[in-house]
Parts: sequence; structure tokens; C-alpha cells
Amino acid sequence: MTKKKPLEWIRLDNAAKIFPPNSNEKDTKVFRFVCELKDEIDKDILQSALDQTMIIFPFYHSVLRKGVFWYYFESSDLLPTVTEENKLPCSMLYHRNRKNLLFDVTYYKKRINFEVFHALSDGTGALWFLKTLIYFYIISRYQSDFKDNLPKLDYNASISKKMDDSFLKHYTGNKISNKVELRRAYHILGRRTIDHRLKIVEGVMSVKEVLALARSYQTTITVYLASLYIHSIFMEMAERGRKYPVVLSVPVNLRNYFPSDTARNFFGTIMVSYQFGQNKDSLEDIIKEVNDCFKRELTPEKLKVHMNQLAALELNAFTRVVPLSLKDVILRFATSLSDKGITAAISNVGKITMAEELSPYIHLFDVFTSTKRPQICMCSYEDQLVISFASPYIGADIQTNFFRALTEKGIHVTVDSNSSEGYSE
Amino acid sequence: MLQWIPIQVRDIQSNHGGNQMQFCEHCRITIKGSKNACPLCGGILQGQGEKNEDTFPHIPTIYQEFNILIRAMILISITTIVVCFAINAITGGTRWSLIVAAGVCCTWLSLFFVIRKRNNIPKSIVWQVVIISILAVLWDRSMGWGAWSINYVIPIMCVVAMIVMAIAANILKISVRDYIVYFLVDALFGFIPVIFIIFGWLDVIYPSVICVAASVISISALLLFEGENIKAELNKRMHV
Repeated sequence: MTKKKPLEWIRLDNAAKIFPPNSNEKDTKVFRFVCELKDEIDKDILQSALDQTMIIFPFYHSVLRKGVFWYYFESSDLLPTVTEENKLPCSMLYHRNRKNLLFDVTYYKKRINFEVFHALSDGTGALWFLKTLIYFYIISRYQSDFKDNLPKLDYNASISKKMDDSFLKHYTGNKISNKVELRRAYHILGRRTIDHRLKIVEGVMSVKEVLALARSYQTTITVYLASLYIHSIFMEMAERGRKYPVVLSVPVNLRNYFPSDTARNFFGTIMVSYQFGQNKDSLEDIIKEVNDCFKRELTPEKLKVHMNQLAALELNAFTRVVPLSLKDVILRFATSLSDKGITAAISNVGKITMAEELSPYIHLFDVFTSTKRPQICMCSYEDQLVISFASPYIGADIQTNFFRALTEKGIHVTVDSNSSEGYSE
Repeated sequence: MLQWIPIQVRDIQSNHGGNQMQFCEHCRITIKGSKNACPLCGGILQGQGEKNEDTFPHIPTIYQEFNILIRAMILISITTIVVCFAINAITGGTRWSLIVAAGVCCTWLSLFFVIRKRNNIPKSIVWQVVIISILAVLWDRSMGWGAWSINYVIPIMCVVAMIVMAIAANILKISVRDYIVYFLVDALFGFIPVIFIIFGWLDVIYPSVICVAASVISISALLLFEGENIKAELNKRMHV
């Protein structure tokens, strides 16, 4: 052996640990960011932009491997290739015992699609990658427009900062009781397609219009839309299902609460629930309850408690020495237990910003994820708010209720979907 | 409560070619691209839309053909077993059909791990050594102890596995780090015949002697030349 390269490997962060055992064909744990430009995509330029981006994000060279006790990321010399989109949205990226990259860049007409296996990164981390990719693509594609004054790239964290495990960094080790409340939530049922394809319905609307609407209820866009979502689910609930609460799982970007520049996972989830049959169950009632719930749960103290619980579990001497195959079984069981308490999910990635000089070339950003239950992901770019429903079911009743409620309030909605026919069951 | 604002369809036009975007009257939504029906309610749409504005390619449903082959093989196996039992029941005599059934099951057990570990050849080889060794001992016992499993099967399996792994690594260009641990495990497994020799369970001693000798040489070579790599690999794979 003449060539001796240092062996590079890295542990999975706390949140990433639940994804590998729980990824399967039905729920691949892959999410997709889309950037739609105003012109058709040039494959070769996108490829060279991707090559440049990979230098800044070396962590994306990782492959996921199984050790005796834990999964780990191993750096590889695999190079990503850009292809025209030819697979179902959010298809499997992690295959057990196979060494392949955990993300994929594809394009279709005007869209650049960036799919990531969730163990590698969360939405915010992935967005940094995508923004860098778009930056390199635009400045190379429209080189003549920029001449010498190139716009600046706004994400400048060092490579080690990007690789930080922020969960461990913010772990205080305080002893907390492991009280986990298990309450069954209402479950949305439906028929699946044979090949487990996700039904994506994306609605594009104006941020200003929706913000004005949310303001008229004295609340924020996230709270308003979460409440509207609960109400849309309520409209499809059978009478006997109403004894169970509707519980939304809401991922929270912890970077907003604890300083971190990591491009890996750093998110927590809060549960927002509403029990029907107490008040009039009008949208106003739901908004009030959801608002209180957000206020109660979204405090650094509350988030820290949950973070510490998970980290303590990971650092526990007993859990450490359990062989991985047994851990997989336990984690799958734990997930199925916690799934019982969740009806649906809503995730607000928030406002996406790009350098001003790049905005003439960008139409919109969009995000959605593989899921076991209907899930809303949303993000905004300039005045375009994109709300994407991903659902494993064929039916689209909840989606219809949701968007119709918005158009009834006078909001202009443009809808797009990956399934050409609509279904109402 | 409802502030109904009528939407003027004419206002909302696609930027390209002035072609009118499709519109669903029931949902009061405009549609991007060109669809057969409203993606929400499935209703009829007004307007033509623009095919060029589609944002998702059409992806046909693909059925997994791999599973069909496996399913066919399972059916053949079941048929074989059932037919053997049937013939055995009709003709009577010794219960030879049990041996057929056990044989088929063992083949499947081994095959299951080959398929499961197919992407990691060194791992697959080690698994086969272990599975075949255990099955051989079980067969040997149940057929009246002839000691052929420990006389021949286990030592020969270990040596063959080492040779196959070395050849496979060369041909398939598997990097040292990826097979070194499996090679080590196989070489350690190759020490087991020492126990057979010490306790005098063997009738034929030479396969075991060759196996142990090969293991000692292999492990020495591994530690001398790849000691660093082994240490790093073990650190990585065994981290707690």
C-alpha cells in the first residue's frame, strides 16, 4: 500500500439516528428542494456548478455505513452526476449495504431538483447547499450579465462549522425525567398507489395576500395555515373519529434558538393538537388554541428539554452497547409508537433569500418531503409563497378543502401537481 | 364572513405566448401547465393551458420484476417439497422426504443471506462461511455423527473463503479497508479447528492443520502490513 489516505468517518448526529432504520420504500425519508428558474436548465453548466459546490460542502461526499453499534458516515470519492429527472419524487436514496451518495441533483425543464436523505441534513442545511449550487449556476450561465461585479455568496461558515454536531454542543447533561405521554391522535386513512408514489400538490400564492389574511385573525402565517390545515382535516373526519385530537407535528429549526452554523441536522419537533367538540370548532377557535400551543412550546427552555432527553438517550451507556441490528428494531418500534400520536405534519422552511443580483433569474423555491401521512411543507421567496402537500394517498380531499378555503378568502392560488388526474374519494 | 372577491379569469394569463392558464371554477384556482382535470377536485377545467409549463415529468409505474423470479423459485421449492412428501406418503418406507425438505430450506437460508448482503461481497463470504459451517454440523449430527463437518467442511470453508476473498478483492478492485476486517474475521474463524485437534475429535487431521497454518500466516501478514488500517477500521466500525 503506497497510497495512505487518512480514514475519514463521522458519527451521525442525534436527530439523524432515527432516519436510517426507518427509511423504506413507503417512506424514504428523502426531501426535495426545488428551484424554478425563468429559463430552461442547461445540464452541463449545472454539472459544473455542482462540482464547484461539492468543494465547499465536502460532507456531501459521505456514504452511510453500518458499524457494529452505530451507523456512521464515511467519506467517499464518489462524484455526483446531474441527470434529467426520471424517478418518482423523493425516491429511495439510502440502500442498505450499498455505497452511494445520499443526495441527488436532477433537473426538468426550468426546475432544479435537489433531493437529500434526511440523515445527512435538515431543510436549512440542505438549503445552504442548494443556494450555493444556484449561485454557481446563475453566475456561470449568465456570465455576460455580471461582468466583473459578481454577487456575494452569503453562507460563509468554515468547513468544520458546517460539520458541527450541534446537538452535542448544546447538550447540558441535566437529568430530566423521561416522561413520555402517549395519546392516540386521529389518523388520516386513504388508498395508496401501487408504487408508493407521493402525490404532490403545490399551491403558489402571494405572501402579502396571505400575510394580510393572517393579520386579520391577529396571528402569523404559520399559525393561520396550521389552523386551516387542522380545519381541513376536521371537515373530512367521521363523527366517531372526533373523539381523537388532531395532532400536527411541527419541525422547528433549532438554529433560530441556539447559535449554530451546521449544515447537518439541527431541528426539533413540537406537537400542536386540537381536540374537537369543546367549543364551536370554528376556524377562530382552532387559531386561538394553535396560537397558545405555539407560544407555550416555542421557548428555548422547552426545546432544550426535548433536545437533552434525546441526547441523554444517545449517550446512555446501555443504549450504546446494544448491537445495531437490535437498535434498528427498537428504533422502528419507538417510531411506530410515536406515530400513533401524530395526525399530520406541517413544516415552514420560511423565507428564502438570495443575493439581489440573482433574483431576476429565479422564479420560485419549493420544498416537500416523503411522508407516511399528508404533510405540508412551505417556503417563500420574494412574494411567492409555495405551499406543497405531499401525501401517500390517492385522494385529495384535505388538499381541496385547504386551497378552497384560501381562494374563498380571495387569495389567488395557482396549483400544480405531479398526478395529471384529480381524485376525490 | 366570507369576503367573496370575484376573480377575473382574463387577468391571470401565462407569461408565455399569452396562452390562457387553465382554471377550475369549483376550486377557483388557476392551474400551472396543462392537465386533464383539476388536481384537487377532479373537475373539468377551462382553458387550454400550456404543455411546456409542466413541472413534473410523467413517470410510468414500474413493477419489480426481480420479485417475480424469487416468487417463482419459492413456488418451485414448495412444489418439490410437497411432491416429495406426497410420494413418500404413498410409497411408505424411510422418511427421505424430510431430508429433501431440510435441504431445500438450508439452500434458501444460505441464498437469503447472499441476496441480502449482495452489495458487500467480503461480508457475504464471511456470512456464508458461518452459515454453511453451522448447517454442516447440524446435518452431520442429525444424520448420525460422521464428523465429516469438522473433519472437512469447516477447515476447507475457511481456507477457500480466504482465497476467494483475496481473488475477489483483486478482480473487483475492492479497497483494502473494505475487506480487511472480514478477512480478519475469517482468519480468526480459521483458528476454531485448533479446538477440534486438541480435543481429538478428528479422524482426518490434515485439512484442519492446513487451515490453522493458513490462518496464523494470514493474521501475521495482516498485522505486520495492515496493522494501522485494521486499527482504524475497527475503531470506525466498533465505535460506541
